[in-house]
Amino acid sequence: MANYQKLSINQLSFTYQHDRVPVLNDLTVSVPLDHIIGIIGNHHAGKTTLCRVLAGIVPHIIAGNLVGSCQLGDQSPVQDWPAYNQQTGFVLQDPHSQLSGLADTVADEIAFDLLNHGVEETAIQQRVAAVAAQLQLTAQLQQSPDSLSGGQLQRLAIATAIVTRPTVLILDDPTSEMDPQGRSDFFNWLKTVTHTTIVIVSNEIDELCEIADELWVLEKGHLVSHGTPLQVMNHLSPKWQVATPTIYQLASLMNWPLATKPTLFPVNFNQLRRCVNVNHSN
Amino acid sequence: MKAKNINDQDSRFSTWKIHLTVATTTLIPAAVGINYIAKALAEGLKLPLWLGSLGTFLASMLAGPTAGAISGFINNVIYGLTLSPVSTVYAITSIGIGIAVGILFHRGWFQNAKRVFVSAIIIALVSTIISTPLNVIFWGGQTGVAWGDAIFATMIGNHINIWLASFTDEFVLDLLDKFAVAYLAFLIYRQLPQRMINYFKDNQ
Amino acid sequence: MDIRHNRLQKVARLHWYNVVDPVTKLLLALFLTLLSFQLTDLYFEAGLVLISLILLLLSRLSVATLHAVSFSLFLIATMILIQGLFNSQNAHPLVTILSITFYQEGVLYALTMGARILIIIFSIGFFMNTTTVSENATYLESVGMPYNQVYLLMSVCYILPQIQQNLKKIQFAEKARGINPQKTLIQKLRSLLPIMIPLIIKTFDQSINRSITLQLRGFNSPERTIAAPMYHYFKTKLSHYFLVLMIIILIGCKLWQIIKNFL
Repeated sequence: MANYQKLSINQLSFTYQHDRVPVLNDLTVSVPLDHIIGIIGNHHAGKTTLCRVLAGIVPHIIAGNLVGSCQLGDQSPVQDWPAYNQQTGFVLQDPHSQLSGLADTVADEIAFDLLNHGVEETAIQQRVAAVAAQLQLTAQLQQSPDSLSGGQLQRLAIATAIVTRPTVLILDDPTSEMDPQGRSDFFNWLKTVTHTTIVIVSNEIDELCEIADELWVLEKGHLVSHGTPLQVMNHLSPKWQVATPTIYQLASLMNWPLATKPTLFPVNFNQLRRCVNVNHSN
Repeated sequence: MKAKNINDQDSRFSTWKIHLTVATTTLIPAAVGINYIAKALAEGLKLPLWLGSLGTFLASMLAGPTAGAISGFINNVIYGLTLSPVSTVYAITSIGIGIAVGILFHRGWFQNAKRVFVSAIIIALVSTIISTPLNVIFWGGQTGVAWGDAIFATMIGNHINIWLASFTDEFVLDLLDKFAVAYLAFLIYRQLPQRMINYFKDNQ
Repeated sequence: MDIRHNRLQKVARLHWYNVVDPVTKLLLALFLTLLSFQLTDLYFEAGLVLISLILLLLSRLSVATLHAVSFSLFLIATMILIQGLFNSQNAHPLVTILSITFYQEGVLYALTMGARILIIIFSIGFFMNTTTVSENATYLESVGMPYNQVYLLMSVCYILPQIQQNLKKIQFAEKARGINPQKTLIQKLRSLLPIMIPLIIKTFDQSINRSITLQLRGFNSPERTIAAPMYHYFKTKLSHYFLVLMIIILIGCKLWQIIKNFL
């Protein structure tokens, strides 16, 4: 029963129906729930497909051959998908596709999921207002979703995913259209989310290393590395062509290893500060 | 559709419920959009054709005759309500086209260029048979396309029966139009990615 | 605080036609259309045209309606020309212009047809110009239409204006590039493919994504809260029953006339 507190993937492979080559190949990994998991890798590494598996989109909506198991706590995206789906928030790569297409205002768009789930109007009002405040969309609530900028649209997409208070939040490259300030606000906000397992695909390696508890590296459908950002970034293979965080590059250039583990270089700000302090005091 | 069912309040809506999957629900607006684009491009290039059923063809091919029929129907109703009221009545023709394409495609009559030729003739016939009475009722037999109507006027002038004249007017235009649309749909369908074809097939 | 729909604002801008529900407006359009097909007297037709025109003018006139009117006026003109000259019933000359004779019967026939078309355009224009997509959607849902069907109808309503705008851009760009050099019909059709294929694939991809989103967002959920209508409508059931009754009577009359012809 131990795995009831874990997200565990066991010998998972997936092949789309229209394809012969598996997109995901024999993935096995397990992390405690309520962690932030960052997924990185090159194009066609299988990142989006892994998100789809975790959300139950494959094989429930897009057909294909799924082998192995995927379990989140006591639930599985493969079995009883409607119940699982109610617990899950998903943000698609393209924020336009996230919209219902019928809402006249941003407020109506955020309320769509709640209406579908039969939530009371007063509760809808409160939750829409709260989510809009969290994602800095309060000023846009009465605007049409069509009038939003790319970054605002991505924040709206995230708002629609979290308004249902999911226990699992899956984000497929949610900051691609945000400006640097918006991106940094978003990652700061993500850090404050509690009681939620967050899976995020992103190219923002600096930010990922700041917030993620765990990083998964995918390459051509294989899970080639996983662990804390510190472990993963210090043991990268050049052939995966994965970018490293600026802090790691700086520290290795200056030869500032961690005081506690001298073979490893820091990957985020806190680690860097500690090892710089140690180096200075020497 | 709306007008017919107003008196069916509340639960009685379920009696005419058509099973619609989410995939079909989102495919149909796309098909209507494609109809509109094709029609506008035909007008832009000054083609003597409508091409306005291309989306209906593709919807039928991807998701079956029901999806095609609904696409065609809704296309004319919404197009009629928003842009050209009289075209609403040709919703019936569009239903016929959607069903005909769906059945022909299912039976393999869109497999190669030769078979598409036969399909186009059959679809044009279906379309003409349904449209002619509508043309007679609403436009005194005309189609609204100048050179088709010229044939119509000549035949009427020579005391040929209005039904025959209207049928000829419509059939000549329909034949040309359905040939163009059938071949365009055939060529476009072959270019669609397999994942797309599978998605709509699985979610019928 | 009502962040979702500010009803107070709407009440301040309430017009007389807002108390008539969308279905009554559509039924009225259907009723006027059927009545115009039942009548044969040109004076009655003219009266109906006037009634529907007044309805339209008392609401708001949109560009779309004007376009529809101008397009059909052109067709009505060609109808008068063809029927006035060639109608098989033609017997009594009406007027002769440059030795071309127009006949009474044909012109009358074309005018009756034209009146019917105008009645359809005006009465549907009244419906379109006085309702909004979201008003219709909430009303249909509130009277029990399944949400996926409401969604389907409404998303088509939303997609058309969007596409219209995109197309204007494409056509503008095409004009800027100059006239198409293709001569034959087949060449012209071929030239469509490179534009159409990417556009169609993109459109279908968007609908696949949207269908995934809708399922993720609980679109099919049986628990959905039914939307409440936007306005308080006046005697909806009574007007529906009355209009449906009139429509049934009109259809019955027409059917009886057809059957009588065969007897």
